[in-house]
Formats: sequence, structure tokens, C-alpha cells
Amino acid sequence: MRCEKAMEDGEIEEGMVTADEYPTSEAPRREPVKSALELLRESKTSVEEIVGRMLSIKREEGNNKSEIRELLTQMFLNFVNLRQANRAILTEEDKVKAETERAKGPVDFTTLQLHNLMYEKSHYVKAIKACRDFKSKYPDIDLVSEEAFFREAPESIKDQSKKSLLETIAERKKFLSSLPVHLKSLKKASIPVQNQLGIHHTKKLKQHSLAELLPPPLYVIYSQLLALKEAFQERIDLELLGSLKDAQAYARLQSKKDSGMSSNTESSRLEDDGPDDDDDGQRRRKRPKKVTSKEGSDKAGLYQVHPLKIVLHVYDDETSDTKPLKLVVLKFEYFLKLNVVCVGAEGSPDAPEKNIFCNLFPDDAGLEPPHQSTKLILGDGQVFDENRTSRPYKWVQHLAGIDILPEVSPILFGQDTPDNIDTAKSDASVPDLSLYRQQHRVETVLQRIRSRKKAHLALAEQLDMLMKHELPAVNCEDAPWALHKVLCALDSWLQIRSSARKSCSLTLSSVEQVPEPMEIDGDRRSLSGKEDVESIREDGELPSLVTAAALITTSSDQTPSKVSSLARSRQLALMTKNLDSPISSKGKSPSFKKYEDDLDLVLDDDSEVDEPAGNNEAHVEAFGPVKADNSWVDYGAREFALVFSRKTDDGKLWKLEAMVQISMEYPLRPPFFSLSLHTSSGNDNGTSESDHYNELRAMEAEVNLHMLKIVPSDQENYLISHQIRCLAMLFDYYMDDPSKRGTATSVVDVGLCKPVDGKLLVRSFRGRDHRKMISWKDRGCASGYPC
Amino acid sequence: MYGDATNWNEDEYRESILKEREIQTRTVFRTAWAPNPNPDAFVVASSDGTLAFHSMSSLVSQSAAFGYSKGEDFMVAVPEGMVRAHEGPAYDVKFYGEDEDALLLSCGDDGRVRGWKWRDFADSTENHVKPLLELTNPQHKGPWGALSPMPEINAISVDPQSGSVYTAAGDSCAYCWDMESGKIKMIFKGHSDYLHSLVSRSSASQILTGSEDGTARIWDCKTGKCIKVIGCQEKKSRFRISSMALDESESWLACGQGKNIAVWNLPASECVSTISSPAHVQDVMFDEKQILSVGAEPLLRRFDLNGALLSQIQCAPSSAFSVSLHPTGVSFLSLSQHVVAVGGYGGLVDVISQFGSHLCTFRSSSL
Repeated sequence: MRCEKAMEDGEIEEGMVTADEYPTSEAPRREPVKSALELLRESKTSVEEIVGRMLSIKREEGNNKSEIRELLTQMFLNFVNLRQANRAILTEEDKVKAETERAKGPVDFTTLQLHNLMYEKSHYVKAIKACRDFKSKYPDIDLVSEEAFFREAPESIKDQSKKSLLETIAERKKFLSSLPVHLKSLKKASIPVQNQLGIHHTKKLKQHSLAELLPPPLYVIYSQLLALKEAFQERIDLELLGSLKDAQAYARLQSKKDSGMSSNTESSRLEDDGPDDDDDGQRRRKRPKKVTSKEGSDKAGLYQVHPLKIVLHVYDDETSDTKPLKLVVLKFEYFLKLNVVCVGAEGSPDAPEKNIFCNLFPDDAGLEPPHQSTKLILGDGQVFDENRTSRPYKWVQHLAGIDILPEVSPILFGQDTPDNIDTAKSDASVPDLSLYRQQHRVETVLQRIRSRKKAHLALAEQLDMLMKHELPAVNCEDAPWALHKVLCALDSWLQIRSSARKSCSLTLSSVEQVPEPMEIDGDRRSLSGKEDVESIREDGELPSLVTAAALITTSSDQTPSKVSSLARSRQLALMTKNLDSPISSKGKSPSFKKYEDDLDLVLDDDSEVDEPAGNNEAHVEAFGPVKADNSWVDYGAREFALVFSRKTDDGKLWKLEAMVQISMEYPLRPPFFSLSLHTSSGNDNGTSESDHYNELRAMEAEVNLHMLKIVPSDQENYLISHQIRCLAMLFDYYMDDPSKRGTATSVVDVGLCKPVDGKLLVRSFRGRDHRKMISWKDRGCASGYPC
Repeated sequence: MYGDATNWNEDEYRESILKEREIQTRTVFRTAWAPNPNPDAFVVASSDGTLAFHSMSSLVSQSAAFGYSKGEDFMVAVPEGMVRAHEGPAYDVKFYGEDEDALLLSCGDDGRVRGWKWRDFADSTENHVKPLLELTNPQHKGPWGALSPMPEINAISVDPQSGSVYTAAGDSCAYCWDMESGKIKMIFKGHSDYLHSLVSRSSASQILTGSEDGTARIWDCKTGKCIKVIGCQEKKSRFRISSMALDESESWLACGQGKNIAVWNLPASECVSTISSPAHVQDVMFDEKQILSVGAEPLLRRFDLNGALLSQIQCAPSSAFSVSLHPTGVSFLSLSQHVVAVGGYGGLVDVISQFGSHLCTFRSSSL
């Protein structure tokens, strides 16, 4: 029974070993270690005992076999115990082995270290030994003290005492330190010579050192302009303004900022006292700049300028003089925060719209910053500070190698897409100087600046003449108007509007353009009665689309391109006076009363009926192709009123009034004339605008378009004189006729037929528009024939 | 659009400025509605000598895409076909014949009448359809055989029944041409200044001419004699007869002279009424018993025969030279409408429905 229990115990233990890890580590460690051996021994002794007993039983023989069987079972029990003990011992052994293995690692490592150290040690020992064993060539010389040296040294060495050596060293040091001063003075002394010889070496060096500190966009401008100057002797001069110190300070600041430390205060300090530490004589020139930057202190952060500026002097390149005429001085500056380059004309405090650099290329008024990012930074208004004389023109950005994406996708402009896609692509690509050079940006810009400046100089000269009421002379034999003897008088030449400052806001201009008739209708609308509406419906006439009509009237008056709003409204005023005078002088003539009602009603009616149509249009517009906003064309345009007068034979005084709009792009965009004709005779009711309407339009077409093709290209800058002379000729010609026509009884097509009344008659009007015939001979002759 | 500092093309830019001005200074002298295969098409004769043909459906779709955006400028419409018909302005354009066999006739400042087969013209996509017919106004011979300059032809009128075409020429004569031979059948001499307008009254085999000399004359086509002179020749300040129109029954005549329109009853041979308007009349037209007129003002006026103003509608051209009513009505937006095309200064054509709404307004793009 006990044995069974023991067996049971053993089984349980086995089960526990397999089933759970935790108890096994506890149980077999203490109990079996002790008990395993004991158990082994116990079992062994009991086995021996049993075997002994079995032997003795066998020897006695015949004893009851049941005892043997009993012993046999006990024996087996003991075997089981033996096995158990054996296994416990084996597992214990395994565990110990593993522990030993674990403990062995650190021991091995330490041993390795020990070996290394031993090796090292032996190496050092060897080295020390080698050092110890070193033998010099002169094993008998020892170091001696200073006194001993002086006592024992021979004469020749004694002379060069250490003191004298020290003295010479000091002297030489002094000489060396004095050298830079000498060199500097020498350098200074050489400057006049350099100037004389035209080698600006010193200046160049200084400029180069400054150039290295330029911000990248300005650097591109500087280097490319300089390259052009050096390669092709382009007649320009470049100069860098600003102090080296500030630039260096800025560069340091920039690098600091890059490493994460930004300090706004320092940068603003830099901006503020930047111009003061100028070492050259530019201090005075800088002052006003500093003031402007300070006055808008809130904006100072935004409009912070890099301390260095490029000054470009452009000279006339058409004269071969050694001292060419200086045309214009440009100053380029870089706005740090806004990342734009601006340009202004040096020494001209003009308002931006008078700046000759505006619209140097189409659609480049310089009002708003060219980059979208800058617009975002500036916020709502999007207008670049209007008080600044230097403006962020697109061409400057192009010159600086900054390429801009167009604001509206070029595809929206339709029709000429393939071309536009190309340009868009080039715009979008990363600026690359080979492309830059390939596009001849610098040359293009310089050429445009020169021609612009020259044109404006010539224009100013001509305008001066006109101000004195003198017709400017035209130096051109090929043009018929140059030979014409002007009969009419230049009565007045007035500047009406200096410059279109407001051009980018659409709202204002469109308000201005509302023609007068609509206003009248608007006033009278409230007066109209419902009965009248009925009566008009009975006539079978249904309302027209007033929204469209109104828009059309608005714009139909603009048809001759962008006539200035003032000229337009004046012209309109004249026309509407004719159209609507019966309305204003109410009840004067009954026949017109009818008109007034009708006009009123038709328009009135429509506004009610067609409201949805108007909405619909607005809706359509949103999806339609975007139309180019051409308001930039008017930017900076000046407008003049010109009056020619002529007294005809019948005593009437005719006045031809012309509104002349001179664009900044003169002469590329020729001045635009809008004409009207008045007569100041006794009775005013005789003539009206419509009598001469077609003739005036024909004259406009001639002056604004057709004659331009005759003006030789070298006379381009004197275009306004040509146009005015041509207009005078056309006016003379027009005024001449009625008298002649009065005497004519018959007009045959040209005067070579048999005259009816003994006079040679010339036909002077032609065509459905009753156009004055203008025919002139071309001065040129066919090639191959002598003139 | 024309480049900037990166790809500057100054000549191209200069051209584009002039081209823009050219489009704006152009004048549309006549619009004519096409016969049957393309009933919604019309031909526009402009001062640059071109004939352009547009169809309403494409115009309306173009203008829908364009919108009257901001009232800034008008749509520049691309015509379906275009031909440079004349040196100098093209003054008048008419259709001769019916339907598909119709001829398109135009006349202009170069003193020529040119004719195209309408089908060829409409089908062609190229810009140079060869004219089928060319008539040249004779030049007058002076002493020693010197030729006068070529007189222009200001108006053209057709009479398909007798196979004739009448022209009003700048040499103060009207001519009758035989369409078969292309020869002059008759010359109507008598006016003292150049002719502005001409209408044929085939029912009575007469033509009526209006002249710069301030008179209108009625001629008998068979004899070439002047039957009647309307308006006196004496007055110096007499205005030219710029335009004439006959109604469908050919018994009423409207005669635009200066700022007035004289309405004549031809059978009774009397002037029924004189309508005066603030601006010079430049074209008149009958719409049944009403008169449409345009002139040197941006208005289309409608009068009845007694001279009462029925309506006036704003139109795009500030000076209109042509008003033309579609003979049968254009089916547009699935209803047939009487539409009027008004053409004039600025190269503008305004197509106005009978209710006064602007179906489309455009400038014809140039060649």
C-alpha cells in the first residue's frame, strides 16, 4: 500500500513536471537533490536486501512462493524508485550544466580582456625597453644652464646675444605692421591714375566683394549685366550701393536664421541704421530712402530692403562718341520679405504712373506684385505700396531670373493655345541661366529701356511745342502731311488727365462709363405710367432685352478701342445732347414728345421682364472663357485735348476737338485720337454730331491706323507730330470742300472728261459712308526704275 | 500674350495693336440673309473688302460661351467662311436667284461686281473661293484716251425674272447688266453726282436710284429714260439720298435723305409723309407696312407709314449702315422669329429679334 502511494506520488510529481514550470523549479531543486541520492541509496539497499532475501528463500527452497512474489513486487517498486531517482538526478545535472554555461560567458570575456591587457602591457614594456636602450651619436654631451653657456661659449657665438636677436625680431614685426598702411596709401594714390587710365581695379575689387553678398536675384541681374558689358562693350555702367558691413551683417543673420535662430529685432535694426555707416560719399543720397522706410513703420517689416542695391546707368548706344549721353539711371532693390525685385528711376520722385518703366512689356503696370505668394503676404489689397517709386515690374523679375506663372491659366484665353502652352511651360520651368541667356533677356530689356526713354524724351519735346501752341515740325519728306501747308489753327492743347492712376479696379471705370442716356432714363423711370405700357403693347412692339441693351450702349461707345472715359463721356454728352435734347426741353415740340415716351417705356418695360435673362447671362459668364483684363493699357496714359479751328468762307468757325490719349507704350502703342466737330455759328441748331459722324470716324481711322503705316520707322518717336499734322491736313481738306462743292453743278469722275460748265471738277466724296477721298502718291518708286 | 522680357517679339506686338485698331475701325456695310439651304446664315460685307458668312446657330453658341461679360467688349466671332471680295470696301451684297442655285453678288470700291455660287461659297472651307462672275464698271475716256479712275459701285439690285442686275456706280450712272453675257444692257445717265442706292421695281420694270446730288430718280428699264425726279436739284444744301427701300407690293417707297425719310406712294406718285429723326438716315427697309431705319446713331427705329415712331431699340453699332430683315423668319429656339441684322461702324453686327432682344452681337474677325 505504501508503495502504491509512493508510486502515486511519483506519478503526480511527473505530471506536475510536465504540466507546470513554476513548481518544478521549486520542487525538484530542494527535495529531489536531497532525496534523490537518499532514494537511490535506500532503493539500492532495499534491492540488495530483497535480492538477499530472495536468494535466501531460493536457497531454503520449497518455501512459499507467495513470499517471493511479494518480494518481486517490492523489487519492482524499488526499480521504479530507482528510475525516478535516476531521472531526477539527470535533470538536476542538466540544470547545473546550463548554469555553468551561463556563468562561463563573463569568465571568457574577462579572460580575453586579460589577454589583451597582457599583450598591451608586453608591448609597452617592449617600447619602454627600446627607449631605455636608445643610444645617441654623442653620448657624452649634456644640457647646460644659461650661465654655464655664457661662461663657456666661444666669442663668435657670444656676439649674437639673445637680446639682439629679440630686438631684430621686434623691428621686423613693426615694419611688417606698418606695411598695410603704406600699401593703403599707395592704393589710394593710384586711384586717380586708375581713373585716368580707365582701369577701375580698386573699385572693381570692392564691387566684386560686395557682389558676393548680393541676394541671388540681384546677383543674377548684376552678373548678367556685367557679363553683357564685358562681352559686348554694352554702354552701361554698373554700381553697387550700400555698406559692406550691413551686407555682411545681413549675411550672418541669414546664416543664423538658417540654423534656427531668428531675431526680428536685429533685422529691423539692420534695416534702420543700414544706410548710416556708408563709407563712401553716398550717405547723403541714402538719407531720403531711410526716411521713407521709416515712415511706414508698420509696413517696415514687409517692405524690408536688402542693404545692397544695384545702380545701372544706361547710355545711348547709337552715338559713337566716347562720352555717350546718359539716358537713364535705374536702381534695383530687393525686398527680403516679399521676395521681389523692384526698380525705380534714380533721382525722379515721380508717381509710379509716370515711371517710364511701366508697361515696358505688355501688361506690366507694376501695380501689383507679380508673384502670387507676395500677394498673399500683402493680403487683401494686393497693391504694392503705392508711395514707393520703385515698382515690382514683371520684367525685373525676369531679369532677375525669377520666372512667374501667369495668374490665369493660358488655356482659358482660347484660340492661340499652342503658343501659350509653350510660354506657360517655359514659365513654369525652374529658372535656368542658359535659358535666360538664350532668351536674350538682358539685351531685350536694355533695348526696350533705351527706346522707351528716347521715345519719351522726344515726346516731351513735342509736347512742349504743343503746349506753346506750335505745330511740331516733321522731318520727313515721304509723308504727304509733311508737305501740306496747314491752314487751320492750333487753338489749344491741354492736358486733361495726367495719368490714369486708377486702372486696375474695374468697378470705378465701369461706373464712369455709364452713359448719360441711361441716367436720364433712370430719372424718368419713376414717372412712367402703366397706361403707357399698355399702349405700347398694342402697337405690337414687345420689350427688348434691356440688360443686354444697356451693356451694349455702355460698350458700343468704347468701340474705338479704349477711349478714355472722359473723352467718351464728353463725346457721349455731345451725342446725347442731340438725341435727348427734346427730352430735357420738355414739351417744346410735340413730335418729339412721342419719342421720349417711347424710349422711356421700352427701356422701362424691359428691366422688369428680363431680369432672369440677366441672371442667366451672369451664370453663363462664370463658365465662359475669361476675358483678358486690358485695364493695364490705360495705366500711366495721359490725355490731352487738342482743338483745331478753321473759319470757312461762309463765316462759320469750325472747331475740331480731339482727345488724344498717349499711352506709356508710346510709340509702340500709337496715340489714340477721338474726334468731335463743333461749329460756333450764330444759330446753333444747324449741325449735329451725326452730320459728321462718319467723316470723323474715317479721320480717326486714318490718324489712328492707316497713316501709321506710312510713317517711316526711324520717325517713330515723332509719331505724335505726324499724327497731328496728318489730322490738320485732313481737317483742312474736309473744311475746304463744301465751298468748292457749292459751285459744282456736275461732278464727273475725274476732271479729264468734258467739263459741263467750263471748270475741271474733281470728285471728292465716295462710297456709302460718304467718305472724303484721300489719295496720295507714294514717294517711292518701283524697284529697277530710276526715280 | 504677346510675350514679355523672356520671349519678346516687338513686331508681333505692334502688329497686334494695329490689328486690334483695324477691327475696331472697320465698318459693316451690308448684311444679307442667305437663301434656303442655310436659312439661318447671313453674309457680312465689310469695309476691308471681305465677305464673311456666319450662321446664327454657331453665333449664338459662341456668344453663350462668351457672355456679355462686364460690357467690356464684343465677341469677335470666327466666320464659317470668308472671302476677300474687293480691293477697298465691299459696299453691298445681294443674293440672285432661289435656294441652292442662288448666286451671291457683291460690289465694292474697286468698281467690280463679283458673283459666287452660293453653294460653293457656303460649302467651302478655304478663304479663296473663285468667283464665278466678274463685272467691271466701265471707266470714262477723257481727252487723249485718258481713263478716269475706277468709279465705285455702291449698291446692287437684282431682277432674276429678266436676268438682270442693276448697279449704282460712282460715275453717277446706273447700269443694267445681262447676267447671261455679263454685258451692259442699259446705262441710266442723268444724275449729277454719284449714286448711293438703287432698288429695282420689277413689277413695273422700273428702277429707282438715289444720289449724292439730293435727288431720286425713277427710270424705265426698257427705254433707259428717266420717268420722274423726286426731290429738287436746285438746293445747294440738299442732302444726299443715302438709302431707298420698296415694300413687298412695290407700291410704297421709303427714301432716306439726310435726317428725313420720305414715304412715297408710287401708284399715286405722291409723298405721303416725311419722317424726321435726330440723326442721318443710312439705311431703310420695309417690314410689311412698317419702316425700319438706322443711321448715324446706335438706334434701330421702327415707324408706320404715317411717320409715327413705333419703337426704337438700342443697337451695338454707333453708326449703322445696314438693316436687313430676314425674309421668312429664322427658326431659333424652336420658334420662328422675325430677326433683323444691323451692321455698322466698329465692324459690329447686332442681330435683334422682333421683340427687341439681342440674339447676338459680334465683331467679325478679320482675314
